[in-house]
Amino acid sequence: MATTLLILHGLVAVALIGAITHQTLAICARPSGKPLSFFGRFRAVPGAGFTNAIVVLYLISTLLGAVVYLYFKIDVQPILERDRHWHALGFFDLKEDFAAIGLGILPAYWFGWRQPVGSHCRQMRIALTLLLAFIVWWSFLIGHVTNNIRGFGW
Amino acid sequence: MFISALRRFAFAYGAAFAFFYVVARARGLALFTVYPAQGIVLLGTHRSRDVADPVLDFLAPEMYWYGWSASAAIGALAIGLVAALLPDRLCWLWALCAWLVPSMAIIACVHLTMPWFRL
Repeated sequence: MATTLLILHGLVAVALIGAITHQTLAICARPSGKPLSFFGRFRAVPGAGFTNAIVVLYLISTLLGAVVYLYFKIDVQPILERDRHWHALGFFDLKEDFAAIGLGILPAYWFGWRQPVGSHCRQMRIALTLLLAFIVWWSFLIGHVTNNIRGFGW
Repeated sequence: MFISALRRFAFAYGAAFAFFYVVARARGLALFTVYPAQGIVLLGTHRSRDVADPVLDFLAPEMYWYGWSASAAIGALAIGLVAALLPDRLCWLWALCAWLVPSMAIIACVHLTMPWFRL
């Protein structure tokens, strides 16, 4: 059960990381120059179109993560403590904290993307998108490293 | 009118949630404590080492993250409702707080996690 949920959590996270990266590049690096390059096409997407998908994927991913976290606490954390993976536990603690903060900013993020372009909320839209992208990338990487920690040689 | 009140609520909620989460995390103010091994949820913050020998702590690991998030959500709900009642001309302030406070909260969380890296 835990393995199935973890795989599902990972798959949702992959979809989320793709969507938020598209949106972040679209808002931070406007299309110019070479529209036919890979990077040009990657960022030349209508960012607003990703907002609902990002919110839904973030909610599903957090829900799955919250369930998997119960198994982590019982089965995995004692092993990490026994093997003195203190840094991994610290990074994982940050993942929890960042994920919770990300959950809190979701309504503001959603409203930020509903504002017409050029309003006073543009700065907030960029900042919240960057913040959410950072949280998603951090959570993805730390989750991935923790899951494979025995292969990392820490 | 309703949409602008909802927008102020959302902006204030994001800022207040981040603030209250850091306060709950720093002060240990979990609304409830989860004991996953026993399948028990207790109201408030409880530490198994306070009632049992610390070396037996691994038998009943406690989880506060859910409780901290719930505490922050309740505090943020209250602030969000207040913001929704305030005039719309303050919306720029809530919009500023909506990203500034969570950014600072992230830094505060890094600071609170530092003990792990000193072990």
